[in-house]
Amino acid sequence: MKINEKCIGCGSCEPYCPMNAIRKTSNEKKYFIDLDECVECGICKEFSNCPKDAIENTDLDHTRSIRKEFSDPKAPHVSSTGTYGRGTAEMKTNEVTGLIRKGYTALSLEIGRPGMGAKFSDIEKITKKLAKKKVTFAPESPLTYLIQNQDTGEIKKDYLNEKVLSAIVEFVIKTDRLAEILKAIKEVSSEIDTVFSLCIAEKEQGNTDFPILKIAEKQGFKVSINGKTNMGLGRPLYKEEQ
Amino acid sequence: MTHTLYREGNRKNLSNDFILFAVPSRNHIPGTSKNLKKFFKILLKHHPINYGSMDIGNKYGVEKEEILAKIGDDSAIHAAFDNEKDFQSALKEVKEADLGISVIASGLMDRVYQLAQEIGIERHTVEYSLGIWGKIENLPDKKILEITTMCGHGMITEKIVKKLIEEVRSHKCTAKKAAEKLSANCHCGIFNTIRAEKLIKEIVLDKKYLFNS
Repeated sequence: MKINEKCIGCGSCEPYCPMNAIRKTSNEKKYFIDLDECVECGICKEFSNCPKDAIENTDLDHTRSIRKEFSDPKAPHVSSTGTYGRGTAEMKTNEVTGLIRKGYTALSLEIGRPGMGAKFSDIEKITKKLAKKKVTFAPESPLTYLIQNQDTGEIKKDYLNEKVLSAIVEFVIKTDRLAEILKAIKEVSSEIDTVFSLCIAEKEQGNTDFPILKIAEKQGFKVSINGKTNMGLGRPLYKEEQ
Repeated sequence: MTHTLYREGNRKNLSNDFILFAVPSRNHIPGTSKNLKKFFKILLKHHPINYGSMDIGNKYGVEKEEILAKIGDDSAIHAAFDNEKDFQSALKEVKEADLGISVIASGLMDRVYQLAQEIGIERHTVEYSLGIWGKIENLPDKKILEITTMCGHGMITEKIVKKLIEEVRSHKCTAKKAAEKLSANCHCGIFNTIRAEKLIKEIVLDKKYLFNS
Protein backbone atom coordinates (compact mmCIF):
# COMPACT_ATOMS: atom_id res chain seq x y z
CA MET A 1 0.00 0.00 0.00
CA LYS A 2 1.10 3.58 -0.55
CA ILE A 3 -0.16 7.05 0.35
CA ASN A 4 0.46 9.35 -2.58
CA GLU A 5 1.08 13.10 -2.93
CA LYS A 6 -2.66 13.89 -2.78
CA CYS A 7 -2.57 13.31 1.02
CA ILE A 8 -3.69 16.40 2.95
CA GLY A 9 -2.61 15.07 6.35
CA CYS A 10 -6.11 14.69 7.79
CA GLY A 11 -5.15 11.40 9.46
CA SER A 12 -8.48 9.68 8.79
CA CYS A 13 -6.63 6.54 7.64
CA GLU A 14 -4.26 6.26 10.60
CA PRO A 15 -6.50 4.40 13.12
CA TYR A 16 -7.54 1.84 10.51
CA CYS A 17 -4.10 0.26 10.23
CA PRO A 18 -3.88 -2.90 12.39
CA MET A 19 -0.07 -2.74 12.33
CA ASN A 20 0.24 0.99 13.18
CA ALA A 21 2.17 1.35 9.93
CA ILE A 22 0.61 4.67 8.94
CA ARG A 23 2.86 7.44 10.23
CA LYS A 24 3.31 11.18 9.86
CA THR A 25 6.10 12.46 7.64
CA SER A 26 8.99 14.27 9.35
CA ASN A 27 7.45 17.69 8.62
CA GLU A 28 4.15 16.37 10.10
CA LYS A 29 2.17 17.57 7.07
CA LYS A 30 1.32 14.27 5.43
CA TYR A 31 1.12 10.57 6.19
CA PHE A 32 3.11 7.67 4.76
CA ILE A 33 3.02 3.88 5.10
CA ASP A 34 5.97 2.10 6.69
CA LEU A 35 6.35 -0.78 4.24
CA ASP A 36 8.24 -2.98 6.71
CA GLU A 37 5.20 -2.98 9.00
CA CYS A 38 2.41 -2.87 6.37
CA VAL A 39 0.84 -6.30 5.80
CA GLU A 40 -1.06 -5.27 2.63
CA CYS A 41 -4.44 -6.03 4.23
CA GLY A 42 -6.02 -3.08 2.40
CA ILE A 43 -8.20 -1.92 5.31
CA CYS A 44 -6.90 1.66 5.02
CA LYS A 45 -7.89 1.95 1.37
CA GLU A 46 -11.22 0.16 1.69
CA PHE A 47 -12.63 1.63 4.90
CA SER A 48 -10.97 4.88 5.96
CA ASN A 49 -12.81 7.07 3.44
CA CYS A 50 -9.75 9.07 2.45
CA PRO A 51 -11.18 12.42 1.27
CA LYS A 52 -8.56 12.66 -1.49
CA ASP A 53 -8.46 9.00 -2.47
CA ALA A 54 -4.74 9.13 -1.76
CA ILE A 55 -4.26 5.49 -0.77
CA GLU A 56 -3.09 3.21 -3.56
CA ASN A 57 -2.40 -0.45 -4.08
CA THR A 58 1.12 -1.03 -5.35
CA ASP A 59 2.60 -3.81 -7.46
CA LEU A 60 3.73 -6.64 -5.19
CA ASP A 61 6.58 -8.96 -6.08
CA HIS A 62 6.29 -12.70 -5.39
CA THR A 63 7.56 -12.45 -1.81
CA ARG A 64 5.61 -9.36 -0.81
CA SER A 65 2.38 -10.73 -2.32
CA ILE A 66 2.43 -13.28 0.52
CA ARG A 67 1.59 -10.41 2.89
CA LYS A 68 -1.64 -9.73 1.03
CA GLU A 69 -2.61 -13.39 0.69
CA PHE A 70 -2.31 -13.96 4.46
CA SER A 71 -3.77 -10.59 5.54
CA ASP A 72 -6.54 -9.55 3.15
CA PRO A 73 -9.53 -11.93 3.51
CA LYS A 74 -10.67 -10.99 0.01
CA ALA A 75 -7.37 -12.07 -1.54
CA PRO A 76 -7.05 -15.77 -2.42
CA HIS A 77 -3.79 -17.64 -1.91
CA VAL A 78 -2.75 -17.45 -5.56
CA SER A 79 0.80 -18.54 -4.65
CA SER A 80 -0.35 -21.84 -3.20
CA THR A 81 -3.82 -23.29 -2.57
CA GLY A 82 -5.97 -20.79 -4.45
CA THR A 83 -8.28 -20.66 -1.43
CA TYR A 84 -9.43 -17.77 0.76
CA GLY A 85 -8.65 -17.40 4.47
CA ARG A 86 -5.53 -18.25 6.40
CA GLY A 87 -5.79 -21.96 6.97
CA THR A 88 -7.73 -25.03 5.90
CA ALA A 89 -11.33 -26.12 6.38
CA GLU A 90 -10.01 -28.20 9.35
CA MET A 91 -12.80 -29.41 11.71
CA LYS A 92 -15.46 -27.46 9.86
CA THR A 93 -15.90 -30.18 7.25
CA ASN A 94 -14.73 -33.09 9.40
CA GLU A 95 -17.93 -35.11 8.98
CA VAL A 96 -17.31 -35.00 5.22
CA THR A 97 -13.53 -35.46 5.07
CA GLY A 98 -12.78 -37.55 8.16
CA LEU A 99 -9.70 -35.43 8.86
CA ILE A 100 -9.95 -35.92 12.63
CA ARG A 101 -10.78 -39.55 13.53
CA LYS A 102 -11.42 -41.17 16.89
CA GLY A 103 -8.22 -41.19 18.93
CA TYR A 104 -6.80 -38.16 17.14
CA THR A 105 -6.65 -34.46 18.01
CA ALA A 106 -6.28 -31.50 15.66
CA LEU A 107 -4.27 -28.49 16.80
CA SER A 108 -4.08 -25.04 15.30
CA LEU A 109 -1.86 -22.11 16.23
CA GLU A 110 -2.81 -18.83 14.58
CA ILE A 111 0.36 -16.81 14.90
CA GLY A 112 -0.07 -13.04 15.08
CA ARG A 113 -3.70 -13.25 16.20
CA PRO A 114 -5.28 -11.25 17.72
CA GLY A 115 -4.26 -8.12 15.88
CA MET A 116 -0.53 -8.17 16.44
CA GLY A 117 0.79 -9.64 13.20
CA ALA A 118 3.80 -11.88 12.79
CA LYS A 119 6.99 -12.10 10.76
CA PHE A 120 7.79 -15.44 9.19
CA SER A 121 11.02 -15.46 11.20
CA ASP A 122 8.84 -15.80 14.31
CA ILE A 123 6.51 -18.27 12.64
CA GLU A 124 9.57 -20.37 11.80
CA LYS A 125 10.50 -20.65 15.48
CA ILE A 126 7.19 -22.43 15.99
CA THR A 127 7.37 -24.64 12.89
CA LYS A 128 10.93 -25.67 13.83
CA LYS A 129 9.89 -26.55 17.37
CA LEU A 130 6.96 -28.63 16.12
CA ALA A 131 9.02 -30.30 13.38
CA LYS A 132 11.38 -31.54 16.10
CA LYS A 133 8.32 -33.23 17.59
CA LYS A 134 7.72 -34.94 14.23
CA VAL A 135 4.32 -33.43 13.54
CA THR A 136 3.02 -33.51 9.96
CA PHE A 137 1.92 -30.05 8.88
CA ALA A 138 -1.51 -29.92 7.18
CA PRO A 139 -0.79 -30.40 3.46
CA GLU A 140 -3.66 -28.13 2.34
CA SER A 141 -2.59 -25.19 4.50
CA PRO A 142 -1.13 -22.14 2.69
CA LEU A 143 1.59 -21.95 5.36
CA THR A 144 2.76 -25.50 4.64
CA TYR A 145 3.62 -24.40 1.08
CA LEU A 146 6.15 -21.95 2.56
CA ILE A 147 7.90 -24.58 4.66
CA GLN A 148 11.01 -25.56 2.75
CA ASN A 149 11.85 -28.61 4.81
CA GLN A 150 9.04 -30.48 6.56
CA ASP A 151 11.53 -32.40 8.71
CA THR A 152 13.17 -29.27 10.15
CA GLY A 153 10.28 -26.77 9.89
CA GLU A 154 12.50 -24.28 8.03
CA ILE A 155 10.60 -21.67 6.05
CA LYS A 156 11.86 -20.58 2.63
CA LYS A 157 14.48 -17.91 3.28
CA ASP A 158 12.95 -15.36 0.86
CA TYR A 159 9.92 -15.04 3.14
CA LEU A 160 11.51 -14.76 6.58
CA ASN A 161 11.32 -10.94 6.68
CA GLU A 162 7.77 -10.77 5.39
CA LYS A 163 5.07 -9.82 7.87
CA VAL A 164 1.42 -10.93 7.85
CA LEU A 165 -1.65 -10.27 10.01
CA SER A 166 -1.66 -13.94 10.93
CA ALA A 167 -0.75 -17.39 9.63
CA ILE A 168 -1.97 -20.74 10.86
CA VAL A 169 0.09 -23.80 11.73
CA GLU A 170 -2.20 -26.84 11.63
CA PHE A 171 -1.67 -30.55 12.22
CA VAL A 172 -3.34 -33.69 13.55
CA ILE A 173 -1.70 -35.97 16.14
CA LYS A 174 -2.61 -39.09 18.03
CA THR A 175 -4.31 -37.92 21.21
CA ASP A 176 -1.82 -39.80 23.36
CA ARG A 177 0.82 -37.26 22.22
CA LEU A 178 -1.24 -34.19 23.16
CA ALA A 179 0.44 -33.50 26.52
CA GLU A 180 3.91 -33.68 24.97
CA ILE A 181 2.96 -31.34 22.10
CA LEU A 182 1.22 -28.82 24.36
CA LYS A 183 4.32 -28.70 26.53
CA ALA A 184 6.44 -27.87 23.47
CA ILE A 185 3.95 -25.17 22.41
CA LYS A 186 4.12 -23.61 25.85
CA GLU A 187 7.91 -23.56 25.69
CA VAL A 188 8.07 -21.87 22.29
CA SER A 189 5.52 -19.24 23.35
CA SER A 190 8.21 -17.51 25.39
CA GLU A 191 10.62 -17.42 22.43
CA ILE A 192 8.54 -15.36 20.00
CA ASP A 193 8.02 -11.63 19.61
CA THR A 194 4.29 -11.86 18.96
CA VAL A 195 1.22 -13.79 20.13
CA PHE A 196 -0.69 -16.79 18.89
CA SER A 197 -4.19 -18.13 19.50
CA LEU A 198 -4.28 -21.85 20.13
CA CYS A 199 -7.08 -24.37 19.72
CA ILE A 200 -7.72 -28.11 19.81
CA ALA A 201 -10.44 -30.13 18.11
CA GLU A 202 -11.76 -33.62 18.59
CA LYS A 203 -14.47 -35.82 17.13
CA GLU A 204 -17.53 -36.35 19.36
CA GLN A 205 -17.01 -39.38 21.58
CA GLY A 206 -20.63 -39.82 22.62
CA ASN A 207 -20.41 -37.81 25.82
CA THR A 208 -19.70 -34.27 26.94
CA ASP A 209 -16.60 -35.14 28.89
CA PHE A 210 -13.86 -34.65 26.31
CA PRO A 211 -10.60 -36.22 27.49
CA ILE A 212 -8.51 -33.70 25.53
CA LEU A 213 -9.81 -30.88 27.70
CA LYS A 214 -8.56 -32.57 30.86
CA ILE A 215 -5.16 -33.12 29.23
CA ALA A 216 -4.99 -29.43 28.27
CA GLU A 217 -5.98 -28.28 31.75
CA LYS A 218 -3.40 -30.55 33.33
CA GLN A 219 -0.77 -28.86 31.15
CA GLY A 220 -1.83 -25.42 32.44
CA PHE A 221 -4.08 -24.32 29.57
CA LYS A 222 -7.42 -22.69 30.28
CA VAL A 223 -10.20 -24.09 28.10
CA SER A 224 -12.63 -21.51 26.69
CA ILE A 225 -16.33 -21.56 27.50
CA ASN A 226 -17.16 -20.74 23.89
CA GLY A 227 -16.06 -22.62 20.83
CA LYS A 228 -17.02 -24.18 17.57
CA THR A 229 -19.26 -27.18 16.92
CA ASN A 230 -19.56 -29.12 13.68
CA MET A 231 -23.21 -30.20 13.51
CA GLY A 232 -22.55 -33.28 11.38
CA LEU A 233 -25.00 -32.30 8.63
CA GLY A 234 -22.62 -32.82 5.68
CA ARG A 235 -22.55 -36.00 3.60
CA PRO A 236 -19.60 -38.19 4.62
CA LEU A 237 -17.07 -39.12 1.95
CA TYR A 238 -15.20 -41.52 4.23
CA LYS A 239 -15.79 -44.44 6.57
CA GLU A 240 -14.42 -44.34 10.11
CA GLU A 241 -12.65 -47.70 9.69
CA GLN A 242 -10.75 -46.51 6.57
CA MET B 1 -9.75 -20.82 9.10
CA THR B 2 -10.71 -20.37 12.72
CA HIS B 3 -12.29 -16.97 12.20
CA THR B 4 -15.33 -17.49 14.46
CA LEU B 5 -13.51 -19.23 17.31
CA TYR B 6 -11.47 -16.87 19.46
CA ARG B 7 -14.11 -14.40 20.62
CA GLU B 8 -13.08 -12.94 23.96
CA GLY B 9 -15.78 -12.46 26.55
CA ASN B 10 -17.50 -13.76 29.65
CA ARG B 11 -20.53 -16.01 30.03
CA LYS B 12 -22.87 -13.04 30.40
CA ASN B 13 -21.86 -11.11 27.31
CA LEU B 14 -21.36 -14.22 25.18
CA SER B 15 -24.83 -15.50 26.01
CA ASN B 16 -26.27 -13.47 23.13
CA ASP B 17 -23.64 -14.29 20.56
CA PHE B 18 -24.18 -17.21 18.18
CA ILE B 19 -22.91 -17.76 14.67
CA LEU B 20 -24.14 -20.27 12.18
CA PHE B 21 -22.21 -20.88 8.99
CA ALA B 22 -21.77 -23.33 6.15
CA VAL B 23 -18.51 -24.28 4.52
CA PRO B 24 -18.23 -26.38 1.38
CA SER B 25 -15.79 -29.26 1.58
CA ARG B 26 -13.05 -28.98 -1.00
CA ASN B 27 -14.07 -32.39 -2.32
CA HIS B 28 -17.68 -31.30 -2.75
CA ILE B 29 -17.34 -28.19 -4.83
CA PRO B 30 -19.29 -28.69 -8.11
CA GLY B 31 -22.86 -27.48 -7.68
CA THR B 32 -22.50 -26.57 -4.00
CA SER B 33 -23.57 -22.97 -4.61
CA LYS B 34 -27.18 -24.12 -5.05
CA ASN B 35 -27.30 -25.49 -1.51
CA LEU B 36 -25.30 -22.57 -0.08
CA LYS B 37 -27.92 -20.23 -1.54
CA LYS B 38 -30.71 -22.29 0.08
CA PHE B 39 -28.77 -22.12 3.35
CA PHE B 40 -28.47 -18.33 3.11
CA LYS B 41 -32.19 -17.95 2.35
CA ILE B 42 -33.03 -20.00 5.45
CA LEU B 43 -30.76 -17.89 7.65
CA LEU B 44 -32.42 -14.69 6.44
CA LYS B 45 -35.81 -15.95 7.66
CA HIS B 46 -34.66 -16.14 11.29
CA HIS B 47 -33.72 -12.52 12.02
CA PRO B 48 -29.92 -12.61 11.80
CA ILE B 49 -28.35 -9.40 13.03
CA ASN B 50 -25.51 -9.72 10.52
CA TYR B 51 -24.59 -11.98 7.61
CA GLY B 52 -22.15 -12.27 4.77
CA SER B 53 -19.34 -14.08 3.06
CA MET B 54 -15.60 -13.46 3.09
CA ASP B 55 -15.38 -13.14 -0.69
CA ILE B 56 -18.53 -11.02 -1.13
CA GLY B 57 -19.08 -8.80 1.90
CA ASN B 58 -21.59 -8.34 4.72
CA LYS B 59 -24.96 -6.86 5.61
CA TYR B 60 -23.46 -3.43 6.22
CA GLY B 61 -21.79 -3.17 2.82
CA VAL B 62 -23.71 -5.35 0.38
CA GLU B 63 -27.44 -5.87 -0.24
CA LYS B 64 -28.67 -9.38 0.59
CA GLU B 65 -29.83 -9.87 -2.99
CA GLU B 66 -26.30 -9.19 -4.22
CA ILE B 67 -24.82 -11.62 -1.68
CA LEU B 68 -27.30 -14.27 -2.80
CA ALA B 69 -26.49 -13.72 -6.47
CA LYS B 70 -22.74 -13.89 -5.91
CA ILE B 71 -22.60 -17.04 -3.77
CA GLY B 72 -20.24 -19.44 -5.49
CA ASP B 73 -19.29 -23.09 -5.03
CA ASP B 74 -16.46 -22.14 -2.66
CA SER B 75 -18.24 -19.41 -0.65
CA ALA B 76 -18.54 -19.73 3.12
CA ILE B 77 -21.86 -18.26 4.27
CA HIS B 78 -22.32 -16.84 7.76
CA ALA B 79 -24.98 -15.27 9.97
CA ALA B 80 -24.81 -13.89 13.50
CA PHE B 81 -27.71 -14.15 15.97
CA ASP B 82 -28.22 -12.26 19.20
CA ASN B 83 -30.50 -14.78 20.88
CA GLU B 84 -30.87 -18.53 21.34
CA LYS B 85 -34.39 -18.71 19.90
CA ASP B 86 -33.49 -17.37 16.46
CA PHE B 87 -30.27 -19.36 16.39
CA GLN B 88 -32.07 -22.60 17.23
CA SER B 89 -34.95 -22.04 14.81
CA ALA B 90 -32.50 -21.31 11.99
CA LEU B 91 -30.50 -24.45 12.81
CA LYS B 92 -33.70 -26.53 12.93
CA GLU B 93 -34.79 -25.39 9.49
CA VAL B 94 -31.29 -25.98 8.10
CA LYS B 95 -31.37 -29.53 9.45
CA GLU B 96 -34.81 -30.16 7.95
CA ALA B 97 -33.66 -28.84 4.57
CA ASP B 98 -31.05 -31.65 4.52
CA LEU B 99 -28.65 -29.71 2.33
CA GLY B 100 -25.76 -32.13 2.81
CA ILE B 101 -23.21 -29.39 3.45
CA SER B 102 -21.15 -28.84 6.58
CA VAL B 103 -22.83 -26.54 9.09
CA ILE B 104 -20.91 -25.14 12.04
CA ALA B 105 -22.06 -23.20 15.09
CA SER B 106 -19.98 -20.91 17.27
CA GLY B 107 -21.04 -19.87 20.74
CA LEU B 108 -21.09 -20.99 24.36
CA MET B 109 -20.33 -24.69 24.06
CA ASP B 110 -22.80 -25.97 26.63
CA ARG B 111 -25.64 -23.87 25.22
CA VAL B 112 -24.93 -24.85 21.60
CA TYR B 113 -24.84 -28.50 22.71
CA GLN B 114 -28.19 -28.27 24.47
CA LEU B 115 -29.90 -26.22 21.76
CA ALA B 116 -28.76 -28.73 19.14
CA GLN B 117 -29.86 -31.72 21.23
CA GLU B 118 -33.34 -30.23 21.67
CA ILE B 119 -33.86 -30.33 17.89
CA GLY B 120 -32.33 -33.76 17.41
CA ILE B 121 -28.83 -32.83 16.29
CA GLU B 122 -25.90 -34.82 17.64
CA ARG B 123 -22.73 -32.81 17.19
CA HIS B 124 -19.89 -34.34 15.19
CA THR B 125 -16.72 -32.48 16.16
CA VAL B 126 -15.89 -29.81 18.72
CA GLU B 127 -13.17 -27.17 18.81
CA TYR B 128 -12.06 -25.27 21.91
CA SER B 129 -9.73 -22.30 22.30
CA LEU B 130 -6.83 -22.73 24.71
CA GLY B 131 -6.24 -19.00 24.85
CA ILE B 132 -3.67 -16.51 23.66
CA TRP B 133 0.03 -17.19 24.18
CA GLY B 134 3.28 -15.32 23.68
CA LYS B 135 3.72 -11.58 24.22
CA ILE B 136 0.28 -11.11 25.74
CA GLU B 137 1.49 -8.03 27.63
CA ASN B 138 1.35 -6.17 24.29
CA LEU B 139 -2.33 -6.94 23.71
CA PRO B 140 -5.07 -4.31 24.05
CA ASP B 141 -7.25 -4.16 27.16
CA LYS B 142 -9.57 -7.17 27.54
CA LYS B 143 -12.71 -5.04 27.04
CA ILE B 144 -11.35 -3.78 23.71
CA LEU B 145 -10.44 -7.33 22.72
CA GLU B 146 -14.03 -8.38 23.33
CA ILE B 147 -14.96 -6.08 20.45
CA THR B 148 -11.99 -6.54 18.09
CA THR B 149 -12.02 -10.36 18.29
CA MET B 150 -15.53 -10.46 16.86
CA CYS B 151 -13.79 -10.12 13.49
CA GLY B 152 -11.58 -13.19 13.22
CA HIS B 153 -9.51 -11.78 10.38
CA GLY B 154 -8.28 -8.83 12.44
CA MET B 155 -9.96 -6.17 10.31
CA ILE B 156 -11.17 -4.19 13.34
CA THR B 157 -8.31 -2.36 14.99
CA GLU B 158 -7.85 -1.30 18.58
CA LYS B 159 -7.37 2.32 17.48
CA ILE B 160 -10.59 2.56 15.49
CA VAL B 161 -12.56 1.03 18.38
CA LYS B 162 -11.08 3.59 20.80
CA LYS B 163 -11.72 6.45 18.36
CA LEU B 164 -15.38 5.48 17.99
CA ILE B 165 -15.79 5.03 21.75
CA GLU B 166 -14.59 8.60 22.24
CA GLU B 167 -17.03 9.78 19.55
CA VAL B 168 -19.86 8.07 21.43
CA ARG B 169 -18.67 9.59 24.70
CA SER B 170 -18.68 13.06 23.17
CA HIS B 171 -22.13 12.47 21.58
CA LYS B 172 -20.82 12.70 18.01
CA CYS B 173 -22.10 9.21 17.33
CA THR B 174 -24.45 6.69 18.96
CA ALA B 175 -23.22 3.33 20.24
CA LYS B 176 -25.45 1.64 17.66
CA LYS B 177 -23.93 3.63 14.81
CA ALA B 178 -20.41 2.98 16.12
CA ALA B 179 -21.10 -0.78 16.21
CA GLU B 180 -22.42 -0.67 12.65
CA LYS B 181 -19.38 1.29 11.46
CA LEU B 182 -17.10 -1.33 12.96
CA SER B 183 -19.13 -4.10 11.41
CA ALA B 184 -18.46 -2.81 7.90
CA ASN B 185 -14.80 -3.88 8.22
CA CYS B 186 -15.66 -7.53 8.93
CA HIS B 187 -16.27 -9.02 5.47
CA CYS B 188 -17.69 -12.34 6.70
CA GLY B 189 -20.63 -10.78 8.54
CA ILE B 190 -19.85 -12.46 11.87
CA PHE B 191 -19.44 -9.22 13.83
CA ASN B 192 -22.25 -9.11 16.38
CA THR B 193 -23.46 -5.50 16.23
CA ILE B 194 -25.89 -5.87 19.13
CA ARG B 195 -23.21 -7.26 21.45
CA ALA B 196 -20.76 -4.60 20.26
CA GLU B 197 -23.28 -1.84 20.97
CA LYS B 198 -23.72 -3.11 24.54
CA LEU B 199 -19.97 -3.41 25.07
CA ILE B 200 -19.39 0.12 23.75
CA LYS B 201 -22.04 1.50 26.11
CA GLU B 202 -20.40 -0.28 29.05
CA ILE B 203 -16.97 1.10 28.16
CA VAL B 204 -18.29 4.63 27.65
CA LEU B 205 -19.79 4.60 31.13
CA ASP B 206 -16.56 3.38 32.71
CA LYS B 207 -14.23 6.28 33.54
CA LYS B 208 -11.31 3.84 33.47
CA TYR B 209 -11.45 3.95 29.67
CA LEU B 210 -10.59 7.49 28.59
CA PHE B 211 -8.67 7.13 25.38
CA ASN B 212 -8.02 10.78 24.51
CA SER B 213 -6.39 11.66 27.80
